[in-house]
Amino acid sequence: MRKLLARLYGDKSVGSIRAYDAKSPLTQILSVFFVLICALIIVIVLLPVIWVVFAGFKDIRELNRSTSFFPASFDLSSYVKTWGQLHFTEHYINSFIVLIGGVFCAVIFNGLLAYALGILRPPGYKIVFGLVMWTMLIPPTTSVVAQYLNIRSVVETLAGLMNVKSQETLLAVAPLWFIMGANAFWLVLFKQFFEELPKDYIEAATLDGCSDLRVFTHIILPLSKPIMMVVAIFAATAAWSDFLLPHLLLNNSRWSTVMVRLFEFRSAMRVNDTDRLRAVVFSIIPPIIIFSLFQKQITSGIATGGIKG
Amino acid sequence: MPVSQKKNINRAISGWLIMLPTLILFAFYVWEPLLKIIQMSLYNAQGFTLTEFVGLDNYKSLLANPDFTIAWKNTFMYTFWSLIIGFCVPILLALLITETPVFRSLTRVAVYFPNILPGLAVMLIWLFFFKPGNAGVLNNILATVGIKPLTWLSAKGWTIPLIVVTMTWRSAGSTALIYMAGISGINPEQVEAATIDGAGIIRRIFSVILPSLTGLVKVMLILQIISVFQILYEPLMMTNGGPNNASISIMMLVYNYAFLHFDFPKAAAVSVMICIVLSLFTALYFVVSGRRGKE
Repeated sequence: MRKLLARLYGDKSVGSIRAYDAKSPLTQILSVFFVLICALIIVIVLLPVIWVVFAGFKDIRELNRSTSFFPASFDLSSYVKTWGQLHFTEHYINSFIVLIGGVFCAVIFNGLLAYALGILRPPGYKIVFGLVMWTMLIPPTTSVVAQYLNIRSVVETLAGLMNVKSQETLLAVAPLWFIMGANAFWLVLFKQFFEELPKDYIEAATLDGCSDLRVFTHIILPLSKPIMMVVAIFAATAAWSDFLLPHLLLNNSRWSTVMVRLFEFRSAMRVNDTDRLRAVVFSIIPPIIIFSLFQKQITSGIATGGIKG
Repeated sequence: MPVSQKKNINRAISGWLIMLPTLILFAFYVWEPLLKIIQMSLYNAQGFTLTEFVGLDNYKSLLANPDFTIAWKNTFMYTFWSLIIGFCVPILLALLITETPVFRSLTRVAVYFPNILPGLAVMLIWLFFFKPGNAGVLNNILATVGIKPLTWLSAKGWTIPLIVVTMTWRSAGSTALIYMAGISGINPEQVEAATIDGAGIIRRIFSVILPSLTGLVKVMLILQIISVFQILYEPLMMTNGGPNNASISIMMLVYNYAFLHFDFPKAAAVSVMICIVLSLFTALYFVVSGRRGKE
């Protein structure tokens, strides 16, 4: 036990316990306790998710009567049927349209402003940064009413000028792309990263006569791939999960996303519990894929952004 | 005009041109709506158009509305319970994951995992767990140890704490990661010096690790209050404010005024009040986090 613990704590240099504590009985008891609690936490975290996937395999009668955790059969055809009946292909496509435009806007617009605030620093940049920071903590949800009215009036005006129905064109979706470009949290992530870039590259390029915009596209962005990844991942999960503004803008249109549908299912009588559960499973698959691919970038982005921001 | 001065002006112009597109977005999505709700709260409206200036009448009629008082009271209850239930969990998680001999990175990834799930999906899953009667998942689990089914969210005193539990389940992991980063930023020599002075592992946690986290704890405390104060999605999805307004929050009142009754001025008036409270918290945040930066 002592040797095992000493080895497990071998190169640990953070927190309280060190390898030399392995001989104390208190450490030995506590470490066993810690492992048990960790196992319990992993169960608490994963259980609801595993439950919903399993429950999706049950039919409605089994869901209401059987108390078993496992379904009677793992027959994928029930999932396939719900997918088709609730038109999930369409909703997935819509969600991805919102997501891709949103990620693009999140990286470009926040990146540009961060570049100006962090590197170019034109006169007055401090006021701009102050304004951005002040509104960072006042959530957009408080002004969602005004936001919605703003968006509506611009979209309807544009649709009138172009002589189209807004709900049938991408005009209905575009506001959800551009809103990703005004995010103070991602802006700060970019700004911190840019400020730590080597200055000589940028100065050399400026002396060579590169315009500021060219410096951004040809020097800053190629050097900033790690932070672009972090912001892109955050923007992608945010775009996928958001539902209030999408619900207000896209409800009853051909663009309704996975989350908009899921929000409607909460009260829709014609959707039964099993379909609802399967829809939940469909809605969590893409984020889980993103998370398993990029879990390192996500967790490190949270830690640095949280500490400094 | 000297060449260098002209160059400076050009640089300033190009800098502002680069900021302009994003500033337009911020103005359109963030700043103008904030000003607009202030204006709207002082008017009467017919649908989307403002009709006449009524001064503070919207505010006055809100104060007379019993729902308004209940919503504020509930919002404070949410904040209270989130401090009781939700505030310590991330700190304990961070300490646990730092000190556990095995499962360190697995637990780290696992506790963060619920964060990436869409909030809506999480709430729907928990609704099935909290279902009253024999069909509820938690009641099933209780039945195996012989406890009678509970009514969970429909029991009046339970609604807010249970909603806070689901919020904690979803978001504790990301806060824990921030605390973990804070712990790993502590100079290891400090811990070793305490060891040489004869401090045991528990003592080291209380006299070295926790004290160095105080600044971070204060910042996270304010951030948590700010985020719980705007709670909307959870009561909207899970209980629709019920039972009998027991879980209606102040943001939900905004939502109801705006999108159920289409009474935009009242919605705006409530929003303005929320913004004032949040601005105070934000000011406090900058004082605390600024002081932390200087330390």
